[in-house]
Amino acid sequence: MTHAPPPQTSGPPSPVDAVELALPGHGRRPPSREAREGGSRAAAQGDVPFLQARWFDGLSSKPRPVLVGLRATPQGPSLVLHPLSQPGAEPAVFTCRQVGWPEAWNERRPQPRVVVDLRDHGSVEIDAVAEWRAALAAAGERPGIAQRMQTRWPVLLGVLAAAAIGLTLFYRYGTPWAATQLARFVPLQWETSVAENVLAQMDHGTLKPSELPKVRQAQLKARFDALAQQAPPDLQRYAGYHPVLTLEFRKGMGANAFALPGGKVVMTDGIVLAAAEKGLPDDALVGVLAHEIGHVVYRHSTRMVVEQGVLNMGLGLALGDVSGIVSTGASVLTGLAYSRSHEREADCYAIALMRRAALPTAPMGRLLLAIAHDEDEKEKKEKQQGGSKAEPHPVWSLLSSHPDTVRRAQELEQGHAPHCS
Amino acid sequence: MDAQTSPAPAGARAHKVRSSFVSQDIESYPLRFTGSGGEYFRVWIVNVLLSIVTLGLYTPWARRRTAQYFYGQTLVAGSPLEFTAQQRRMVMGFVLLMLITLAYNIAANTGQDTAVGLLLLAGAVLSPYIWASAMRFRLGATRWRGLRLQFTASWKEVYTASWPVFALALVWFGVFYGMQMLSPELAQVLESAGEEGAKPAPPRFTPAMGGLLALGLVLTVLCIIRLEYNYKGLLVLRAQVGAERGRWKPVYMDFVKVWLATLLVFVLTLIVFALAAALLVGGTSALLPQLKQMGLFIVLLILFAAVFGLLLIVAATAPARAYREARMFRLVWDNVGVSQVARFKCHLRPGAYVWLRIKNMLLTLVTLGLYRPFARVSEYRMKLESVTLHVKGSVDQVAGVLVKQQQGGLGDALADAVGLDLIG
Repeated sequence: MTHAPPPQTSGPPSPVDAVELALPGHGRRPPSREAREGGSRAAAQGDVPFLQARWFDGLSSKPRPVLVGLRATPQGPSLVLHPLSQPGAEPAVFTCRQVGWPEAWNERRPQPRVVVDLRDHGSVEIDAVAEWRAALAAAGERPGIAQRMQTRWPVLLGVLAAAAIGLTLFYRYGTPWAATQLARFVPLQWETSVAENVLAQMDHGTLKPSELPKVRQAQLKARFDALAQQAPPDLQRYAGYHPVLTLEFRKGMGANAFALPGGKVVMTDGIVLAAAEKGLPDDALVGVLAHEIGHVVYRHSTRMVVEQGVLNMGLGLALGDVSGIVSTGASVLTGLAYSRSHEREADCYAIALMRRAALPTAPMGRLLLAIAHDEDEKEKKEKQQGGSKAEPHPVWSLLSSHPDTVRRAQELEQGHAPHCS
Repeated sequence: MDAQTSPAPAGARAHKVRSSFVSQDIESYPLRFTGSGGEYFRVWIVNVLLSIVTLGLYTPWARRRTAQYFYGQTLVAGSPLEFTAQQRRMVMGFVLLMLITLAYNIAANTGQDTAVGLLLLAGAVLSPYIWASAMRFRLGATRWRGLRLQFTASWKEVYTASWPVFALALVWFGVFYGMQMLSPELAQVLESAGEEGAKPAPPRFTPAMGGLLALGLVLTVLCIIRLEYNYKGLLVLRAQVGAERGRWKPVYMDFVKVWLATLLVFVLTLIVFALAAALLVGGTSALLPQLKQMGLFIVLLILFAAVFGLLLIVAATAPARAYREARMFRLVWDNVGVSQVARFKCHLRPGAYVWLRIKNMLLTLVTLGLYRPFARVSEYRMKLESVTLHVKGSVDQVAGVLVKQQQGGLGDALADAVGLDLIG
């Protein structure tokens, strides 16, 4: 047996069914007894227009001719179903919540056929889609935000503007703030264990043991420890966060210094030699160390982990469907913006700490300029043809992890920056 | 409206066919897609915007809208499909999936190797379960002429069909130990890998080892094909519309042939790419003297080349992937049916599909992804409209069995994560 007989109409289906179904979907039907009854009932309820439809009851693929009417109720439109095949059958009423209302995709060019979901009672197929939309609107349909965006350009453009503003605000202020708060819950031990791993990996790769004389190292370490002692408590953003600040020396990575989470600061031989070459006092190096202490105290590494996590997940979900390039690009650019803001914060910290220790920040500014200048020279040598000094293009500043060096150096020389509170 | 779209009068013939003994006329219904790229672009951009505004939380609603759009515009014998999944279930599945992802990320980032290992192992063992619940969800949420589709495979059947997964694990276990047997040096390297600083000489690579590795690879591919065959077959055989079950004719060798042809297409693509690269390198080496003066631009060029190389890998495999997809689609849709009531015919041309995919890929790249909805619609349309449904008797004869609204929803969200697309 290939199919069970339809449960409702046992026996041969009446030819009336077939005739009614054979009629094209549109157009007025001949006034059969049921239709006239339905029509008069509708008239009694305030002239509800009826649409011809096919009802599939979920028990068989055989359609049953019905008339569908919509009524306005306080909860929204409700659907009335008049079966035409069973004379004298009561119309079935479905409240707004019992119906899965199909979304309108296109107001100007409606789809050829719309299906209304009656949940466990099957579904209703309607051919007169434009009339259906009109009836729904007349019955007080309240479309959701998605459908309003779908069918109305002003709503779409409005949400577009809101999305642009909202996204900018969220990534400009929301994420950094959340990262700052979340970092409070990250234990210090985790930071130190991560730092150890990272440093071990770098020691295997780009870094070599320092070649500075032990005396020189001890000298700088003493200055560092003295500075760390003077770290003012009012600059402490994280109460109760007391990492052990230590200084280490390595060779490699050019003239550089970096801070690891949990209090370890690493200085390369390159930067110490660069300071000596330019005849700058040790205060320049101490300034750089103050900047790195700022990174540690503000827990920038940990915050960056959280920020990158939010960025990758949030932007991946939001823009992943557009394209991987767009979502990764947005994530990288925003990550760089965070990195620049961290650098500025660390600069502010350095300025404040150096003032507290009664040390000048100007030498540090000169050191930064000198290092940047050296790198420019190197590039120029490779270029062979010097000429005009390359102005940093605004696009390049977006692609940089550090703020513009010249401005930073100026701020440090003046010992104060407009963005520091 | 053209003749294809008025199957409603088919009901007129409902009384004709009540028994399969009567000689039957066979009615053909080409499947139709009535949507358009521009319309879907609107659906898609709304989803993207709402996802942005809600920081990604709109995803389950977006998935439902997308499915409803495609289903609602897909006419099977004149009646649109319906996607009737409960939104609440989909949201719950999505939230659960996000929590699992979060737990995994936290475990991975904080170096809790045991937890990560357990999560991965659970994922591997549960993958047949996840696949089956995804299929149950997908079919259970699909309705046509009021009848729910169903996926009725039992868990035992699903795990039995998954035997290639476990065979795969055995194969690589065997290769791993076979390698150590063949080459004692390799075993030493593996042992000392954990120790700091120990760097013994790299082991020699013998032909026997190469042979073993090749055997392992061939067996792997055969297992993967078998898995695909088993799953597709199970899906069709245990799919039900109303009381009618699916019919499945392809055999394993059909699948192997498709894969072999795909390999051929891939090799041909590589040859074309190699020729193009040779021409391009010849061209740039002529430019080289000029390049030397550009200094900084060299760095940019290298960066660009790295990005370009990545794209090249995607591009080089794209024709083969599209070809396999088209061949597989035609093989399946040309050889399945619904019990004795209906069968499908498919006339998809793999060449045309490959060109469409390449064109779509380029346009999507050029428009930074904005062309994606148009691409999706054109591919869906080409595949869908290549299929014709032949019904013996009438489409009115399928009787339903009472099916409650499906429970899952998690299956859908998890399916999303493992890359099973709802549309397609």
